[in-house]
Amino acid sequence: MDIQPIHPPPTSFWRRYVFSTDHKYIAKQFLWAGLIFLALGGSLAMMIRWQWAYPGQPMPIYGSLFLRKSGGIITPALYPSIFTMHGLIMIFFAITPILIGAFGNLTIPLMIGARDMAFPTLNMLSFWTFLVSQALMIAAFFVKMGAASAGWTTYPPLSDSIGTPGWGQTLAVMAIFVTGVATIMGGINYITTVIRCRAPGMTWGRLPLTVWGMWLTAILNVLFVPVLGSGGLLLLLDRLFGTQFFIAGASAVNGGGDPLVFQHLFWIFGHPEVYILILPAWGIMCDLLSFFSRKPSYFYKGSVGAMVAVTLLSAIVYGHHMYVTGMAPLLGKGFMTFTVMISVPAEVLFLNWLQTMWKGSIRLETPMLWTMGTVFVFGLGGLTGLFLAIVSMDLYLHDTMFVVGHFHLTMAAASFMASMAGIYFWFPKMFGRQLNQTLGKIHFWFSMIFIPLVFGGQLLAGYSGQQRRLFDPYQYTFLRHLQPLNQWTSYFAFILGAAQLVFVYNFVVSVFAGKKASDNPWEVGTLDWDTPSPPPYHNFDVVPHVQRGPHELGDPAVKKALGRDWIGQWEEMPGEKSGQAAPKLAEAH
Amino acid sequence: MATAVTDILPYPPPRQREENTAWLGMVIFLGSWAMLFAGLFFAYGAVRIGVHRWPPPGLPRLPRLLPAVNTAVIALSSVALQMGYARLRERSSARLVATAFALGAIFLALQGLLWVQVWKSGLVPQAGPYPSVFWGLTAFHALHAFVGVVALGVLARRIARGIYSPARHLAVRLWAMYWHFVGVVWLVLFATVFAF
Repeated sequence: MDIQPIHPPPTSFWRRYVFSTDHKYIAKQFLWAGLIFLALGGSLAMMIRWQWAYPGQPMPIYGSLFLRKSGGIITPALYPSIFTMHGLIMIFFAITPILIGAFGNLTIPLMIGARDMAFPTLNMLSFWTFLVSQALMIAAFFVKMGAASAGWTTYPPLSDSIGTPGWGQTLAVMAIFVTGVATIMGGINYITTVIRCRAPGMTWGRLPLTVWGMWLTAILNVLFVPVLGSGGLLLLLDRLFGTQFFIAGASAVNGGGDPLVFQHLFWIFGHPEVYILILPAWGIMCDLLSFFSRKPSYFYKGSVGAMVAVTLLSAIVYGHHMYVTGMAPLLGKGFMTFTVMISVPAEVLFLNWLQTMWKGSIRLETPMLWTMGTVFVFGLGGLTGLFLAIVSMDLYLHDTMFVVGHFHLTMAAASFMASMAGIYFWFPKMFGRQLNQTLGKIHFWFSMIFIPLVFGGQLLAGYSGQQRRLFDPYQYTFLRHLQPLNQWTSYFAFILGAAQLVFVYNFVVSVFAGKKASDNPWEVGTLDWDTPSPPPYHNFDVVPHVQRGPHELGDPAVKKALGRDWIGQWEEMPGEKSGQAAPKLAEAH
Repeated sequence: MATAVTDILPYPPPRQREENTAWLGMVIFLGSWAMLFAGLFFAYGAVRIGVHRWPPPGLPRLPRLLPAVNTAVIALSSVALQMGYARLRERSSARLVATAFALGAIFLALQGLLWVQVWKSGLVPQAGPYPSVFWGLTAFHALHAFVGVVALGVLARRIARGIYSPARHLAVRLWAMYWHFVGVVWLVLFATVFAF
């Protein structure tokens, strides 16, 4: 009676390399799909930065490649679709597939000791549905009147068929709906797998924090992505069939139709979404800081509790995105209170990270550098969030570049850096090869120095009153003096963008010709490192019997008995009683 | 690397485990999809709360009789399916599931009739938020009902042909959950869009 039976690996080409149901292979598929779109979204960011530094001037390199019709100039008609597609691509089609699609798929079954996801076929369908949504997104670039251009928030009336006519916007909204379906499929799988497929002895208190992060993210995904789906669906009905859910003019004629309703639906989803993108990162950070400080993760239960608290609170704070919509002041105060409350669990996590590193014997390997960088940029992002949570401050800062700087530090920079930490950390397990560590460190230092400079520049510009999304900010005399600041920010952004080419080179070369990795190169004790690199199709020949928590590092007793500073979750200490936890777990089924 | 540990554990038989796992997945899916419908109803509520008169002046009311009949039809369909599921090992099961399928098909047919009637009364989707809500919500619900009816048809055929198996038990159990979900959504839809 196996927990999950061993299935022989498929032999046909299609089942093996295309429609694979193997969670490790699907993780790779998500990783590639996400990285390609990350490059695409990054390229669009470079174009936005050029526009803000030198509006109206022909763009070098890109101009001759993509903007030949206009002589290399970013036209007013093109500009909104650039920032809209940048936002949508980065959030839904780059960070989500990398952080949740790739790492969720890779780590959950391996770390809990399962042979695959609970529903492998659903997992495969999730990836292919996701790919359809990416195709819809790409198609939006090639239709008449250009790609989506109502901003990533797709607020009506701008996103209605009057504000943005043409198929570009419609295809983008369809893509969001379809990618939402893919996310829900993945979420169902993640939640069920963690509940049902844990190895014997893998109690909830022994789960690696990465799995906790992924699991809570999956819960938020399953609950709130459908709300965005409902908003997108109504928007599509408005655009395609002439219904009037969000058309403001309708309220004057026949009563009803209200664009604000979409904002509610969007942010009921949208605020959990920012935690959807950061919870997996938090989990990965908790684990990696412990692994590379050679110490147990400080206050494990506190970290879990904090993540659960954030998950719960994230559902009731969305109103802080809508302070300026004429919301009742009392309601605004309520949302403000809940929003500020989130900083308490976030602070617990932050202190736990610092405490984990405190007096540890820190190994400054590439993944550790990226994790420490994430702690730094997330701290910056979190602090700037306090400004926006307070109603009185937000009234001034709303819709300025300050908001852009804030959410880039938290959602973009922190999620990106945590993704990189994950890639450098799990690459050996995924591909059986090592990434080049020197190139990884070069990549890190360039990113670490320039990310705060780029987004710090945005914070400064916003604090000085520059509105976000302006086509040419210097048409306003009161913003003219900000051009040098914006130009410097753009130079930093270009360096940051160029530095990513180091990673592209490193990644592609290492996948095919990297140094062969050992089974446990980082010397850590979670179950994913109990398998060969890369793991066989069924992960574990014998499903491990979990003995202890995930962070048993630097224990003197272990050092004495085994001669190393770590012990695997699957390992028995000589002379220790085993098998205590197994019957307990079985009762739960 | 793995220390020798055993795969043999005091677990329930795998079949039961697999069924429980599938059941959990279905519960999570329906919970998620309930949020999608909750979003739609939220939008309806938010639109409606902003106006003084509903339906807005100058528009005819939506019919009530036909939707009320349809509520009974889909409720009976759910009951028949549940009875068929409860006696899946007996011969009468096939007839009950077939009845559920037939009632589901009647529901869709009556829904089509309702659409024709409403369209003719001048409540086209473009005529404002009032018909927008009707068309958007009923069409999206009917899409789900259609999927359910097709599934019930396939299940009814299979049950009529073959003998009982645990896999079939699971299929009927999960589709019954789905079908009840579609029924409950219709109940809320009837109460909010048509009745009040």
